[in-house]
Amino acid sequence: MKRTALTQKLLVLGVDGMDPRISQKFLAEGKMPNLQKFIERGSARKDLHLLGAIPTITPPCWTTLATGAYPGTHGITCYWRQSPESLDAVVYNMDSRNCTAEQIWNITSEAGLKTLVWHWPGSSWPPTSHSENLSVVDGTQPGSVNMGVAQLDWEKVIVATPDIKEVRYAPRVDKPAGVGCIIADLEGTLDNEVDDEMMELWWGDTAREGGEIRTYVMDDEDTEVVIGSKVAYDIVNSPLKEATGWANAPEGAKEFTILTSGGVMRRPALILKNEAGEYDRVAIYKNKKAEAPIVTLERDIMVTGIMDDVTKKEVTKPACRSMKILELDSAGNKVRVWISNALDISNDQLWHQKSLYKDVVNNVGQVPPVSLIGGEDDELVHEIFEPSWAIYDKWQADCLNYCIKEKGYDVVFSHLHNIDCAGHQLWHLGKTLPPWDHTDEKTFQGFIEKFYLQTDDYLGEFLYLLDEGWTVLVVSDHGLIVGENVPPILGEYGGLNTKVMEDLGYTVMKKDENGNSIREVDWEKTRAVQIRSNYIYLNIKGRDKYGIVDPKDQYDLEEQLISDLYNYRDDRTGKRVVGICLRNKDAVLIGANGPECGDIFFSIEEGYNRLHGDSISTSEGYFDSSVSPIFVAAGSGIKSAFTTDRTIRQVDVAPSISVLLGLRYPAQCEGAPIYQIFSEEI
Amino acid sequence: MSLEQLNSNRFEEIIYDNCEPSLVIFSRKDCHVCKEIVPMLEEMKPQYEGKFGFYYVDVEEDKTLFQRFSLKGVPQVLFFREGEYRGKVAGKVEEESIEEKIAEVLGV
Repeated sequence: MKRTALTQKLLVLGVDGMDPRISQKFLAEGKMPNLQKFIERGSARKDLHLLGAIPTITPPCWTTLATGAYPGTHGITCYWRQSPESLDAVVYNMDSRNCTAEQIWNITSEAGLKTLVWHWPGSSWPPTSHSENLSVVDGTQPGSVNMGVAQLDWEKVIVATPDIKEVRYAPRVDKPAGVGCIIADLEGTLDNEVDDEMMELWWGDTAREGGEIRTYVMDDEDTEVVIGSKVAYDIVNSPLKEATGWANAPEGAKEFTILTSGGVMRRPALILKNEAGEYDRVAIYKNKKAEAPIVTLERDIMVTGIMDDVTKKEVTKPACRSMKILELDSAGNKVRVWISNALDISNDQLWHQKSLYKDVVNNVGQVPPVSLIGGEDDELVHEIFEPSWAIYDKWQADCLNYCIKEKGYDVVFSHLHNIDCAGHQLWHLGKTLPPWDHTDEKTFQGFIEKFYLQTDDYLGEFLYLLDEGWTVLVVSDHGLIVGENVPPILGEYGGLNTKVMEDLGYTVMKKDENGNSIREVDWEKTRAVQIRSNYIYLNIKGRDKYGIVDPKDQYDLEEQLISDLYNYRDDRTGKRVVGICLRNKDAVLIGANGPECGDIFFSIEEGYNRLHGDSISTSEGYFDSSVSPIFVAAGSGIKSAFTTDRTIRQVDVAPSISVLLGLRYPAQCEGAPIYQIFSEEI
Repeated sequence: MSLEQLNSNRFEEIIYDNCEPSLVIFSRKDCHVCKEIVPMLEEMKPQYEGKFGFYYVDVEEDKTLFQRFSLKGVPQVLFFREGEYRGKVAGKVEEESIEEKIAEVLGV
């Protein structure tokens, strides 16, 4: 059957973690004028909600948006995939080859439409169609383009004062908020357990080849909100003294030393005076004999696109960095500088076609590194983390517009990670709960607002397309809530959650000589484990490596476990914290069934859930936050200034794109076109 | 010919400020392998006089430098030219490997 297309050009603006409820708060305050224009010129529900797929986790939901199929059908059922070997380990899951449903971009490209899939963290990489019309950029991790494969060095803060007597370097220091980056006890700051290669471990070549990742979440210290709010970066301390031995140091300049590349690269730097005799700039040089600096930094301005050599594992390559002055004393008695991680500018391995990488960097600019430091340190969030994302947002908007205007793409599927990235570090601090009562919720609510406002700027970069015949869909995978309570140790997506399952007697950990649990499962006594966001696996004889449960007892054990979960009371509040529990066969009701969904699906009850992932998508949180994703459509083929009461499901987006472009539906699609918002009867 | 010992500040001056092409052995007094390598370097030093510097850092006296280069264990010989790190050789090395590395660093 052929249909007439309602549009020839379509852009999906995906914003990871964008929440319609919190967006409405800022819309009502007039702070998101560009989103307001998309709404006024298009269609949405009044509450802007999209009903999210379950689990409310990034790769499953982006895959649902791309396929129109539920997670149980497309097979991407959490951030990680269950290890085929072990009940307590996970493996990499952002690989399109694991997806058992057809992606809509294969249909658009094979129908002759030039299609770009930009950093879509759900079943986009590697490309699954041979069509020459299909281009795919990264999508192997949710962060930013090239983040998983091109990082050569870590972020660092350099502090120089006249009192510091020698150059000192401390790698990856977990800095308690409020302590001033001075290395007093170098021995004490060094941690042999520091993993230098976290990006590679999670998203690098080994992970992508299926290596097991074993993470146990045993207490609050292992949870993402606690880990994510600690900031870890390299600290360099340097003397600040009169410049000596320079080929070309300006009058009155003072020198200090920057170390990069795990300490092996050294860059001499100068603080410079202005005409009034105040120090107001920092110039960084390759060496003291160099005529010109690599970069000159001014106060309050983050500079990106700084090219410098970086050495990693004995190999030296040119890399792109960003830098900013954090503090510069006008009298020249102190300077603090932030330096971003370093991205290898030669790495085009996750660009298809590779020529697109060259075109983008030559015409738009090098990929700007985003900062991942901030957490509880509000100075770093304000000065570094948020601005680094604003720069990245603009670069990405410029890239997409370059591809639209200069490269002739007809259909673009794009994903931006700014809100979700900030949400995982900061949103829990939007309510001052006892474990982080040294922070102020107002400060962090202010950061939530800043990230929504920068998202509005990003959306504004594409408004012009509505006047050029394009259809624009603003969508997200899920929202993130500001938690009302500290969540239970259950439903954390990163690994094996042991505490509640130990309390209930299903998971048994081995014990040390004092009877305390150690990080090793006692498989001989373990009847069930809870792993990833929402899944419980029974330890079944004949099916699982160390199985002890007789398959004929499975049904009764599931019943008992479900009862026990409903009866479980949180030890902090005395309240029930488990939401819904379903056997695998019953979880088809929410599309979370099938071989990748464990024996029991469960959710965490509203009020006790963490950011997103462990709850259902209708959960709401503090500060008008919710786990719901957003949906707004505007432009060609979409009714203008229209609201619908229809429940719009995440599975409905892909078939709606099919209708708008006059193409067939994806093969495993379970959703239906949102016909109510189309400009013509279908 | 004995090697000049560098502390943190002297290291800055020689290796970075003067940009002297050099090698620096990171060693420890009670390390057996170091006791073999250091005399070998001392013996090599005169033939490179004026062309390539030979220095040593005692890692117990200058922990900062040892940690700054993220080194694990001694001896390690680090090479520099024009203020840039140019690689290292670790453990019990032969004179030939040092000569080769110097030639590589000097670009001859």
